[in-house]
Amino acid sequence: MLPRSAPHRPPAPLAGGLFGVLLLAASAHGTAGAEGIIRGVVDLRRIQVTIEARAASAAMGIPSRRPAELRPAVVYLDTAPRGAFELEEAARATMDQRDQTFVPHVLAITVGTTVDFPNSDLVFHNVFSLSKTRSFDLGRYSRGHSKSVRFDSPGVVQVFCDIHSHMSAYILVFAHRYFAVTDAAGRYAIGRLPPGSYTVAVWHEGEVRETRVVTVPEGGGAVEAAFAIR
Amino acid sequence: MHRRVPRPTVVAVAAVIASIGFGGIAQAQFWPDRPITFAGGRVLLAGDASGTFGSDDPGWFTYTDYETDSLRRVRAGVTIEVRPSRRLAFLTEIRAETGAGVVPYAWYVRVSPLKNGWLDVQAGRIPPVFGTYARRSYPQDNPLIGDPLGYQYLTSARPDAVPANADQLLKMRGHGWLVKYPVGSAVAEPGVPVVAAGRWDTGVEVRVGTPRLEGAAAYTVGTLSYPLVRDDNHGKQLAGRIVWRPVPAFAIGASAAQGAFISHDVLTARSDIPDARYDERAVGLDGEASWGRWLLRGELVANSWKLPPLDQPRITDPLGAVNGYVEVKIRMGPRLYVAARGDQLRFSTIQGTAGAATWDANVARVEIGVGYTLRRGLLVKASMMNNWRDGGRIRQSRLAAAQALFWF
Repeated sequence: MLPRSAPHRPPAPLAGGLFGVLLLAASAHGTAGAEGIIRGVVDLRRIQVTIEARAASAAMGIPSRRPAELRPAVVYLDTAPRGAFELEEAARATMDQRDQTFVPHVLAITVGTTVDFPNSDLVFHNVFSLSKTRSFDLGRYSRGHSKSVRFDSPGVVQVFCDIHSHMSAYILVFAHRYFAVTDAAGRYAIGRLPPGSYTVAVWHEGEVRETRVVTVPEGGGAVEAAFAIR
Repeated sequence: MHRRVPRPTVVAVAAVIASIGFGGIAQAQFWPDRPITFAGGRVLLAGDASGTFGSDDPGWFTYTDYETDSLRRVRAGVTIEVRPSRRLAFLTEIRAETGAGVVPYAWYVRVSPLKNGWLDVQAGRIPPVFGTYARRSYPQDNPLIGDPLGYQYLTSARPDAVPANADQLLKMRGHGWLVKYPVGSAVAEPGVPVVAAGRWDTGVEVRVGTPRLEGAAAYTVGTLSYPLVRDDNHGKQLAGRIVWRPVPAFAIGASAAQGAFISHDVLTARSDIPDARYDERAVGLDGEASWGRWLLRGELVANSWKLPPLDQPRITDPLGAVNGYVEVKIRMGPRLYVAARGDQLRFSTIQGTAGAATWDANVARVEIGVGYTLRRGLLVKASMMNNWRDGGRIRQSRLAAAQALFWF
């Protein structure tokens, strides 16, 4: 389990590299039987988005205004079943730039996914990341244009805009498909799970907030697991 | 006119940088990389710290006052915003800086009566509306280490002391770092830059606009080159700015300002000073264009100071100064960029006993630099600049500097 006070460190299955994949495959506890589902609610908290980092840096000294946002969490299996790493064909996802915000704020994808970054704002944006998992710089482009990045390694990628310092987002790249992003009510569901014991982790805003062992019974079915972001 | 530097301030600022900034490298997970909020977002705390070390500048090209070289300074600042409601905010920035001590750089209240945010009224020590650079003078907003000449270079004009004739003014050509004139304050002090980026003025500002077209006007007690907290001449400055962004890739702005420049002590120093307006007037044009990895900025400021015409040979015309610069920044990757700026500051000609000459020595500067982001909120820069001046003891100076910046 990762230390909870370590923001921006990738959770274990995201840590990347061949070592992580083999370790996780070997540590799987799933067995043959009816498939189950782990579901529940994560009690999220509102995050205040800071628009004006410095009094003078905003145009004319005037900031935009934005209410506090409820930012989603990602729930995933820290130990995945055997065969979990047999991923399907490469997927495509979108992270829009709208109203000077990345939408969605959190994107969870599997390795090999290509993410499009369209600009839907009237102003320029410059998407970039300094993350070790995937660093990139898409340069400045305007409304109606889009650029793409393919993510080939598991890990956490924090995304920023070079022009608007308050814009940030996360892309979590998984080596398996057992993860879920919470909805507006904090609900999540991870399905198609073989019976077995799994360590379920909750990631929120750069940190693993909680891990817990959850068991899917031999007969399958739904197992409830609730979490709270403290 | 300027405060002398208590040396402990320098040590204190350096300690802040060491503890907040570079100390963070060892414990990277604990340092903030974004502003910190409290009380459900109603209180925001942001900060920055920087340290700059450059080569010795015996020609005083990069000084911001008599004791402060902009290439050799440390600086730390915190910004606090308290927002009791969506339409009311109190903002302050407190800065500790080499040469200035600890200064409440900005403190103002902001009222936003419209829900869409298209109208704001600010009162207090407010952000300047003129031009662009004074609002982006924070180290991380400047791709290079030096400042544009018009916003930093010390001319030989002073608000609190004036020459009695043209010869006395011409004697100070290229000597703006320490100027002495017989009328007014008898103390030798630095002159003023065309626009003071290092201090903000005090007054009221109204801003109205949409993302495409924006305008602002400010009524303040000081002037562009000499911002004040307390009025020193019973005169006010009116400044305005309009910005048009026809497409996201391009913005063009125009600014103007006029305000009483000469201080009351000068105007009462001699009984033969004509009763007239002695204003600073300025107009400015600026533009920004960008695409892909390129960012291009340019600005032109034409400024004049009207001085009292006293003894022969008299200074009859306003003292003109024109500054223009073009700046380019190219991002080479997520962490690396290169930048360059070409800059000129030229002065108008006056007639002295020995003939006509520019009232201050024309200056030119070319600076090239590179920036590398170590991590979010931690940037290191290096630059080289060449300065040329057609007067003064040192006519040319090649300087190098390195800078480390931390902010959240």
